[in-house]
Amino acid sequence: MGRFIIRRLLYMVVVILVVSFITFGLMHAVPGGPFDAEKALPPDIIKNLEKRYHLDEPLVMQYLRYLNAVFIPQFSSEGLTGDVEDDSLVNIKITDTFWIKWMNFGPTFSSRSRTVNDIFRQQLPISVQLGLNALFVALILGIPLGIISALKQNTIFDYLSMSIAIFGVSVPVIVLGPLMIWIFAVTLKWVPATGWGAQPPYVLGVFPSDLGWKYWEKALMPSIALGLGSSAIIARLTRASLLQVIREDYIRTARAKGVKESMVIVRHALKNSMIPVVTILGPMIAALVTGTFVTELTFGIPGMGKYFVTSITNRDYPVIMGTILLYAVFLVVANLLVDIMYAFLDPRIRYD
Amino acid sequence: MRSKFFLIAGLLIVLSMILGACQPAPAPEPETIVQTVIVEGTPQTVIVTATPEPVEEVEEMKAITLNFGPGDIPTLDPSLGTDTTSIQIAVETFVGLTRLHEVTNAVEPGMATEWSSVVNEDGTETITFKLREGISWVRYNGNEVEQVLDEEGNPRMVTANDFYYGILRTLEPETASGYAYVLGMTMKGANDYNNGDTDDPATVGVEVIDDYTIALTFIEPAAYNPAIAGMWIAYAEPSWIIEERGDKWTETGFFQSYGPYTLKEWIHDSYITLVANPFWPGIESAPTPKIQEVTWLMLDASPAMAEYESGNTESVAVPLADMDRVKADPELSAQLVVAPDFCTYYYGFNTSAPVVNDVRVRRALSMAIDRQSLIDNVLKGGQEPAQWFSRPGLAGAPTMETHPDLGIKSDPAAAVAELQSYLDEMGTTAAELDLTLMFNTSEGHRKIAEAIQQMWKDTLGVDVKLVNQEWKVYLDTIKGADTPQIYRLGWCLDYPDANNFIRENFAPNGSANPFTDGKPSGGVFYENDAFNELLLEAAREQDPVQRVELYAQAEEILVVEDAVIAPIYWYTRNTLTKPYLTRTFSTGGQEYIEKWDVDMSAKP
Repeated sequence: MGRFIIRRLLYMVVVILVVSFITFGLMHAVPGGPFDAEKALPPDIIKNLEKRYHLDEPLVMQYLRYLNAVFIPQFSSEGLTGDVEDDSLVNIKITDTFWIKWMNFGPTFSSRSRTVNDIFRQQLPISVQLGLNALFVALILGIPLGIISALKQNTIFDYLSMSIAIFGVSVPVIVLGPLMIWIFAVTLKWVPATGWGAQPPYVLGVFPSDLGWKYWEKALMPSIALGLGSSAIIARLTRASLLQVIREDYIRTARAKGVKESMVIVRHALKNSMIPVVTILGPMIAALVTGTFVTELTFGIPGMGKYFVTSITNRDYPVIMGTILLYAVFLVVANLLVDIMYAFLDPRIRYD
Repeated sequence: MRSKFFLIAGLLIVLSMILGACQPAPAPEPETIVQTVIVEGTPQTVIVTATPEPVEEVEEMKAITLNFGPGDIPTLDPSLGTDTTSIQIAVETFVGLTRLHEVTNAVEPGMATEWSSVVNEDGTETITFKLREGISWVRYNGNEVEQVLDEEGNPRMVTANDFYYGILRTLEPETASGYAYVLGMTMKGANDYNNGDTDDPATVGVEVIDDYTIALTFIEPAAYNPAIAGMWIAYAEPSWIIEERGDKWTETGFFQSYGPYTLKEWIHDSYITLVANPFWPGIESAPTPKIQEVTWLMLDASPAMAEYESGNTESVAVPLADMDRVKADPELSAQLVVAPDFCTYYYGFNTSAPVVNDVRVRRALSMAIDRQSLIDNVLKGGQEPAQWFSRPGLAGAPTMETHPDLGIKSDPAAAVAELQSYLDEMGTTAAELDLTLMFNTSEGHRKIAEAIQQMWKDTLGVDVKLVNQEWKVYLDTIKGADTPQIYRLGWCLDYPDANNFIRENFAPNGSANPFTDGKPSGGVFYENDAFNELLLEAAREQDPVQRVELYAQAEEILVVEDAVIAPIYWYTRNTLTKPYLTRTFSTGGQEYIEKWDVDMSAKP
């Protein structure tokens, strides 16, 4: 298992490099530049801006400069300087005047005083919190609904559960969100309409330090709105998978040797039926925790989601690279976790 | 039942992996910022009575919450602002040499109490500004607003040197300021310095005469020069903190300013709070603020509307989707104000492209647009039909009162006649004309384009194809040889003068009329020497009435004689304001909160 994980992590480096290369190529191939605007800036002004961000260099140089800043650890005589051009995500102090700095994702074109790392530090934790809440909602709703409808196939319970699932899939956040705001915030005034309750510093850099009502009054609506859609997918998947597993020979064997029905379902059927669900959890986690554009916009949550969209429309090159690489890392890591889960769920799967 | 237990146990295993780190760890105490309540400190006559005054008499701090729209503020740095939100913060935290009245856009004294102008022998104009004395730099220290002290412990005062530093910093190529070009086009030597052609600051037309006198030299005497001198790119800037903190000087805790407000807290992507500056003396164009704290949220239109209806914000821009409901609601409609906004929406014609290279076709298309019907049925925001380009209300721009018949109007009969004369000459029919209208991908622009497409079909019988492109791709397209026959664009003011509209767009190398090697190379592909002459003359004209006449002539050439563009509408803003907030409605895009007041006792 250990060797497997190490091998996969090495693959990850290759994947990230390939992703960075393709992203870099694509974003520069698309017409339009970061400083195009309705009010056309004079060419001299554009030249100054391009020079500042090294966009006047040949593309190969720009790419190498980026790879160097992000992937190669740099040695420096000082730590966090607060300088926009010298902002690394990882700063390791060796001595007072000798630091190893790693992962400088560069500036943002849309804001002079912020870096891509600032976005990671300040916006990503909020998206991760929202994503995990939503994932929790998705699992807590989706799996029981799926199990009930599979075990009580073609009964009223089945139809009811699947109706809820269909509702979750077909009513997107863009409809559900404003509806919830209208009911619970504007009319009933139970919760605030917008915002996010957690403030830095975060536990482990990600989790809210206070999980009281102050946090949940703002987190509850978006978490449910976002989780509902995913719960529907999980419910349908659980149902289909469980229905298939229940008809397998080894279930019949288990029943034949007199194992109690509840034991058959939990021990034999459920565990095996979780494999497709866990498979989809990988990409689902990556998508949820790196930010969700519509949910964050609807509930006024200062998360990462909008940067995925606005960076592309603005041609904000460092932010495009940063967000895509971030997503790639989350995806690869989540899929690695999924593979590890396989071995746990199905003893026949061995990686060594 | 046992199965349920196992199920939950299984779920917990899955979740524990993900949420494991979520367990309540000994969390570090969140950094608390102590807020001090600043009570309006006007000395009052104290009446000594046997019983003390009840405690409730203490006034609640005046604070309001507004909304900016989604997305972080690009910058608080005056040298770098190019968008309305960045500039909004700049005009509240700084005051320029001159300051524009937010409604009339008249140039009023700002940091300069008076100025005098001399036209030099080489045709340049030098304006000497006398500065207000005793205005100190301030910052918010976490508790309250305090004066910034120099090395010797004395308060730092705003001097001519700070203005000199600010202007030069805007122009330095390394600063890479987007709007440096406005100074570049108007100030002597500014363009060469900004290009890097020279690195000698002495060549720039800015001179410190003494601590409280500064002279700016402009390329030509123009009516709008004092307005340019008051723009945010020419504010005084705190050199000491900028040199110490670099680009981060605008962050919470570092930021320094001297205007009616200063920065209290800026939580990126979330909100920004400005706090009143007690050291600001209050001048006519920027009085002492009554409202102590202003917070702007960064919400999308419809969540912002929800917050307004929940009573959490004091004012909001009405989302288009809520417009009909707001108008029908007796309470909300009473809070609605429609105010002019200094922007123009128009369709440009590529005058070098087939079919639209004939002025009769362009004029016919422009006259066939029923602008009022478009506004009533599609836009619904009380916009005004545009008859020419420069938004009325700008200095130098004609108004509907003085020039009701100027420009282009909806006239189906004349439109048909114009087009028929073209068709007869070419020996073709309206249905055979091959026309394309392009806009950038957006629901709003599509609706407008479809309505106008239908008007052209109904009135002229022409079938116009609609094409849309993603924003940045579109901007690229309309700047080059591939500019479509008809394309959409808009323009909003940088400084309130017709020069900023008509000349900066349609003169050679204007924003909508790029030139390469002295020839039109994109946009409207327009070159008319008489038109250009007229614009130069208008810029130099000192008599306001005569200026308007010159611009009126230029507009007539632009939209009727040459019909280079079809102006569609002049923007308005639809704003809801709570009745307990007393406010002004700016026309230039930036609100002057120091002129507002709020009655906290009336707030529910």
